[in-house]
Amino acid sequence: MRRSKKFAFPILVCFLVMLLLVTACSTKGGSSDQAGEGITTVTMWHGLTSIDLDNMNKVVKAFEEKNPTIKMNLVYTESNEGSDQKLLTAVAGGNPPDVALFDRFKVGTWAAQGSLTDLSSMAAESGIRKEMYYPFAWEESSYQGKLYAMPMDTDSRLLFYNKDHFKEVGLDPNKPPQTIAELEAAAEKLTIKEGKRFKRIGFIPWYSQGWLYTWGWSFGGEFQDAATGKITANDPKVVEALQWMTDFGKKYNVEDIAGFTSAAGTEEMDPFISGQVSMKISGNFTVKGIEKFKPDLNYGVAPIPTPTGTNFTTWSGGGSAIIPKGAKNIAAAWKFLEFLGKEEGQTLLNADSQISVIDSVNDKYGYKDDPIMKEFINILPNSHNRPVIPEGQLLWNELASATEKATRGNGTPKENLDRVTETVNKALEKYDK
Amino acid sequence: MAKLADPVQVKAIPSARKRALHRTNVIGWLFASPWAIGLLCFYAIPMLMSIYFSFTTYSILQPGEFVGINNYRDLFHDPLFWKSIYNTIYFTVFFVPLSIFFGVALAMMLNMKVKGMAVFRTIFFLPTLVPQVALAVLWMWLLHPNFGLVNGMLANIGIDGPAWLGGESWSKPSLILMSLWGIGQAVVIYLAGLGDIPEEYYEAAQIDGANWFQKTRKVTLPLLTPVIFYNLVMGMIGAFQQFTLPYTLTKGQGTPANSMTFYVMYLYENGFRYFKMGYASAMAWILFIIVMALTGIIFITSKRWVHYQGK
Repeated sequence: MRRSKKFAFPILVCFLVMLLLVTACSTKGGSSDQAGEGITTVTMWHGLTSIDLDNMNKVVKAFEEKNPTIKMNLVYTESNEGSDQKLLTAVAGGNPPDVALFDRFKVGTWAAQGSLTDLSSMAAESGIRKEMYYPFAWEESSYQGKLYAMPMDTDSRLLFYNKDHFKEVGLDPNKPPQTIAELEAAAEKLTIKEGKRFKRIGFIPWYSQGWLYTWGWSFGGEFQDAATGKITANDPKVVEALQWMTDFGKKYNVEDIAGFTSAAGTEEMDPFISGQVSMKISGNFTVKGIEKFKPDLNYGVAPIPTPTGTNFTTWSGGGSAIIPKGAKNIAAAWKFLEFLGKEEGQTLLNADSQISVIDSVNDKYGYKDDPIMKEFINILPNSHNRPVIPEGQLLWNELASATEKATRGNGTPKENLDRVTETVNKALEKYDK
Repeated sequence: MAKLADPVQVKAIPSARKRALHRTNVIGWLFASPWAIGLLCFYAIPMLMSIYFSFTTYSILQPGEFVGINNYRDLFHDPLFWKSIYNTIYFTVFFVPLSIFFGVALAMMLNMKVKGMAVFRTIFFLPTLVPQVALAVLWMWLLHPNFGLVNGMLANIGIDGPAWLGGESWSKPSLILMSLWGIGQAVVIYLAGLGDIPEEYYEAAQIDGANWFQKTRKVTLPLLTPVIFYNLVMGMIGAFQQFTLPYTLTKGQGTPANSMTFYVMYLYENGFRYFKMGYASAMAWILFIIVMALTGIIFITSKRWVHYQGK
């Protein structure tokens, strides 16, 4: 008995310490507020590595020099869905960072959940205007007319083609296909099939970045009604695009080419780099990989063919910076976002890496003189962004699944796209209150 | 004197013991408190809350509103929900029996008294040490339709291999194949089970003139049933929760054509990507009921086919 008394006290202490630890987690939030006198620390969550992280550090350095009262604290969180989950928990728990890097694609969803800080008035005060950026970048950062994110970088999609293959089969390597008919003819010439096995595939519409978004817009379709905001995935032009993809798949037997599409890897496993695919739709983000893994690949890029050979277009996504709801240092955080969004910050941020959302910055980088990069930049003023809706991810998944179903002969393109339209619009109903 | 003292002591002991018991109880609970608090805060409360959430439109970021059984009703009209159930049951029905068959077969082979058996046992156990994500990447290469090792070897003997993970009809069998590669854990348990079977039974069978097949059927398998029973239940629960492998393989998309959308994947997608946590909670409870029911059925039938030694 006496013994147990002797032990009871230390155990009780241990227990209390543990309780303290458990509860401390929920009250810790305010600790990053003030560091030193008059200095505000802004915490930013990011998923940047290598060159992008170096660039961001340069931005931070330049920013801190100009704003001696603000100190940036960069915290690495892995850059995939996981990082959003962390942010999600932090916002739900009322303890978010002051700034977070964020895929613009998700702005609609998060803004609809009331989890992003409305930046519109601060932007107006700081002279951040719509006209400074590519139209799609501003559009994708806004939800229902309000700005919720500061666009940071972007990308675009084009037709990549192997010039050596073009020469080999007697096509002009300086005249890539412009119309859908030309694309089909070139694909046929470039394909080498032995039995069931492809030695080389000329083109696969849905491979890499050949999403239905890509083709739908190239065929002149629209995915959202500008007036009502309703989703129009069954727009006749989009149906036409999917019909074309389906017919293309039938011609070459979908199951035979499935190997290339779903199992094909990226980087050094990319069949375009290894010469097994002659043409593909891809983005500027694969250019670096080609330089790295096969610098002597003789290839060119061209606008994605359209039925008429005119009205070329593409679509773009990219990153942004947001201030989550519940952030403690909104004013200081905005200062950083403002710096990030203006020309100086943009120039430092995207050097040697990404495409800036400001046209003049891309000009400064010399992209417009580079034979490959200039094509990516030139298309940007006509680029689209995916509809900014609360159910953006659902629409994306539904479109991807409709493409797969239709090309595999599981329902007609029209049926599949009708279903997408119905499903997504139904899901959107609950936000219309 | 002794007689006098006795009754006093008899009376005193229970109350002292009671107090002592009480005190040790408290200390015991203090020691157990990290676990108890953890269980309550991170397990019991969230679990009970999820029952409530399954009747709401909770989205993590917003509390949502009470919608009664709407989530459950919507689920029954959700084609992808049924597809994911189909995929999951397909996987379970093929994977669990196959894993038992191959697990027992392997364990019996690894139980032979041959030189260097420890090396073989290690070799078969090694794959279980590979993390699931690495396993997925590894098999993506092996099963690559065009430059994968598997199809390359098949081509050598004149067989035109399928698209494996790329084809709708082969994606789930491929996944079963990949999962079977990691049954080392079960094999170790079977090996322990085999070690528990007393040598006398085999000797007796030997004297009776039983051959290998008869010994396996009449001695080994019946006495291995408790272990098989354990692996059956755990394997089934694990199969219903299949997530990491298909999620990594398809980058969460369940391609091709949703043939790899498993139940828990779809649940995760609803909860964390569509922000439909209420809907996801409803899915979780349906899964719980299915797994409980199946486990119950296995337990009830186990009385007929599981033989414990010494009973």
